[in-house]
Amino acid sequence: MLRYAFRLHRWGIIGYGLVALIDAYVNTTSFQQVAGSTPAARAAFARSMSALATQISYILGPPFHLDTIDGYAQWRAFGPLALVVLIWAIAAAAGAVRGDEERQLVDYWLAAGISRARLVASRLAAFGLAALVVAAACWLGYVLGALPYETPDLGGAAGKALGLWLLMLSLFAVCYLVAQLVSTTRAAQTVGAVVVVVLYLFDVAARSNHSLDWLSWVSPFKWYDATDSLAPGGHLDGAGLALSAGLVIVTGVLAALAFARRDVRAGLLQRRAREARARDATPSPLLAWPVARLLYRQRWVLVGWMAVTIVFAAYFAGSAHAIVDSVSGVPGLRDLLVRGAGGDPYRAFIAAYWFGFVQLLLAGFAIHLVAGWASDDTEGILTSVLSMPVPRWVVVAERAAAALLGVALVVAVGSLATAAAAAAIGVSLDAATLFRASWPLIPYALTYAAVGGVFASYFPRAAIGVLGVVAFLGYLDYELVPLLKLPQWVSYFSAQFLYGTPSLTDVYWTGLWVMVAITVAGFGAATLLMRRREVGA
Amino acid sequence: MTEAIRTRELTKDYGAGRGLFDLDLEVHAGEVFGFLGPNGAGKTTTIRQLMGLAFPTRGSAAIFDLDCHRQAVEVKRHVGYVPGEPPQFGGLRGREIIAYLGAMAGGVDRARVEALCDRLQLDVSRRYREYSTGNKKKLLLVIAFMRQPRLLILDEPTSGLDPLNQQTFNTMVLEARRDGATVFLSSHVLSEVEHVCDRVGIIRAGRLANVASLEELHEIRLHRVEIEFGGEPPLDAIRKADGVDDVTVEGQRVHCVVRGSFEPLMQAVAGAHVVNLTSHEPSLEDTFLEFYSGSGKDAVPASC
Repeated sequence: MLRYAFRLHRWGIIGYGLVALIDAYVNTTSFQQVAGSTPAARAAFARSMSALATQISYILGPPFHLDTIDGYAQWRAFGPLALVVLIWAIAAAAGAVRGDEERQLVDYWLAAGISRARLVASRLAAFGLAALVVAAACWLGYVLGALPYETPDLGGAAGKALGLWLLMLSLFAVCYLVAQLVSTTRAAQTVGAVVVVVLYLFDVAARSNHSLDWLSWVSPFKWYDATDSLAPGGHLDGAGLALSAGLVIVTGVLAALAFARRDVRAGLLQRRAREARARDATPSPLLAWPVARLLYRQRWVLVGWMAVTIVFAAYFAGSAHAIVDSVSGVPGLRDLLVRGAGGDPYRAFIAAYWFGFVQLLLAGFAIHLVAGWASDDTEGILTSVLSMPVPRWVVVAERAAAALLGVALVVAVGSLATAAAAAAIGVSLDAATLFRASWPLIPYALTYAAVGGVFASYFPRAAIGVLGVVAFLGYLDYELVPLLKLPQWVSYFSAQFLYGTPSLTDVYWTGLWVMVAITVAGFGAATLLMRRREVGA
Repeated sequence: MTEAIRTRELTKDYGAGRGLFDLDLEVHAGEVFGFLGPNGAGKTTTIRQLMGLAFPTRGSAAIFDLDCHRQAVEVKRHVGYVPGEPPQFGGLRGREIIAYLGAMAGGVDRARVEALCDRLQLDVSRRYREYSTGNKKKLLLVIAFMRQPRLLILDEPTSGLDPLNQQTFNTMVLEARRDGATVFLSSHVLSEVEHVCDRVGIIRAGRLANVASLEELHEIRLHRVEIEFGGEPPLDAIRKADGVDDVTVEGQRVHCVVRGSFEPLMQAVAGAHVVNLTSHEPSLEDTFLEFYSGSGKDAVPASC
């Protein structure tokens, strides 16, 4: 059972293991090149990186000793992996519960006399082993990257890898419990993603606003950040590690209890059918219209992301005073904020911080849309659609159009919420700036949708994993090109770079056209691949 | 005769001997054609190629003279389809799924949909995930039949249906044929199709073993016979009788299998004291299994 369950994670292990290895190796080995070799150069590098760290604290945790290879590796190599493994944990947990049941593997196992508790334990243990391989790959990447320059801190890196392993396992356990409550893979992915993203944002919120520290202590991401054993003078945070381990045990036990109290292929929170009201319901007229019918089917995804975007837009814009005032003691950052947005640090903060953060949300939304397309394929809905007189190109065109409309809606409500929240605290965002920063977000998100669309059209089972890796590599690219002084064309592989900073400067037209070209080429390739592939194989 | 379906050397080679090989098949317009074979024989592979969902390694398939691959969209204007594996529409209600897929087909006749739902006793106000396997199958049948297509391609359509609904389904198939439709239905259970099919194609290990009319299949049916004699059974005569096999003796009882006519067996026992004689007519499934076992491999006359 354990061996078989472990085997089910093989592609995740290979994919995420490679990402962890490459990420750790590249970031560690690049330190010498980007930071210089003299103490003075490294100190200057650490100062500029600290300023950058504050700006991108929604992605990376707090930095320590950035003038050392170990401190830098902890921040740049181990830090972003928290976001990468988040995607894996959500997908793997949904697959381990709902996927196994939809494929009737659970029926088989239960019929073979395996107890439900043992099944839960085996699934958790199998993912634990898989996550161990990925954490070990990260550790190895650091060691290989540091070895040519300094003696690697094997123990410190092992401590951080231990934290990463527990983070993966605790996220998986949380999503595994969530998947017990709902009845479909799609719902398990959606609710799991919401829960995990909220936990992540608790930590992010506390990074920039220390009055929210209490909130972050319920987040496994905070517990992961708390172990800084790789940085000089750092430590293994026993409390954080114990909380992570405790979360795994508690959610594992709760999952086993939930599994024991529900039917196979049903969620614990199964709603009772409401016959009387439903019987009179007529189908929505939206189902009769191309594009609208796809949006209708993904309406809860759309509503969910719009709500999340509004909440965070309101939070970031509304807390501009508190955050800017709290960091105004950092001279470099204060100067940076004062220089931006016509000397108004609050406007500059909203422009830089919110329009940086919303990129993360839109990438998540695009990945979620692609997950729906991939599910249509694997769940047999595409087969039903293609059994009607519908050309295959229409399927891809509808996906593209629905993505365009959906992204435009999320961007619009996010920008309106930002403006409203900023106005509420007396910060005036001019409409032109807001518009200039907002509309390029549409091709930005469509870039992800188009790349995901290619894989959803040809290899739907791998679409989410591959898109997650592509998004991560794009982020790495964005961060490493300036640091490693690579040619500018290399930046074009990063959507963040292509979006630019239109809220602070101007629209980056070259980047914009590249994003449009990627979108057109992506959906074009998706159309060709869709026409050439076999459906339901 | 007009052909609704025509395949020529249709092959889908998955390697290692798996797939579908050199399928030459003609299904006449207006007939009900049963496509029979055990699991993994190639039934669904054939159907997926007819529906343009999978592409042939070589050979061709046409529906109403339209190429199933190149003219897939045009083909589907004429086809109603029930997939072997029900899709997972999740939280959509049955009525929403009908509206969703019906709009893609150019709209649906609400009265016809309601009539079909009533016949199959399907509550389309329920969410799809609340449906049992049988109800999912019923919804797929409604979707396939609602457009009154010229051709119905049904992949194991009765699996999951209770006997009452199977009867309703049989009636629906016969009515569709009466109205001029062609029906191509696959099954691995002969008894499910023997009441409605005009002809049956038997596929085995990816190759079409034979095509026969129902009457031809009936001709090679087996009968299991048990004869109780008042004295010594005429064993030599029974064993020598044409079409009599598997003769076993239990005291004064003789068990045997009779293929085709009873006449040779009756002549063999004519002078003996027969106390009792019982004959069990096996179902077509037994005939089918016998056919697969190899002993009757060449017994079914080809009429394709």
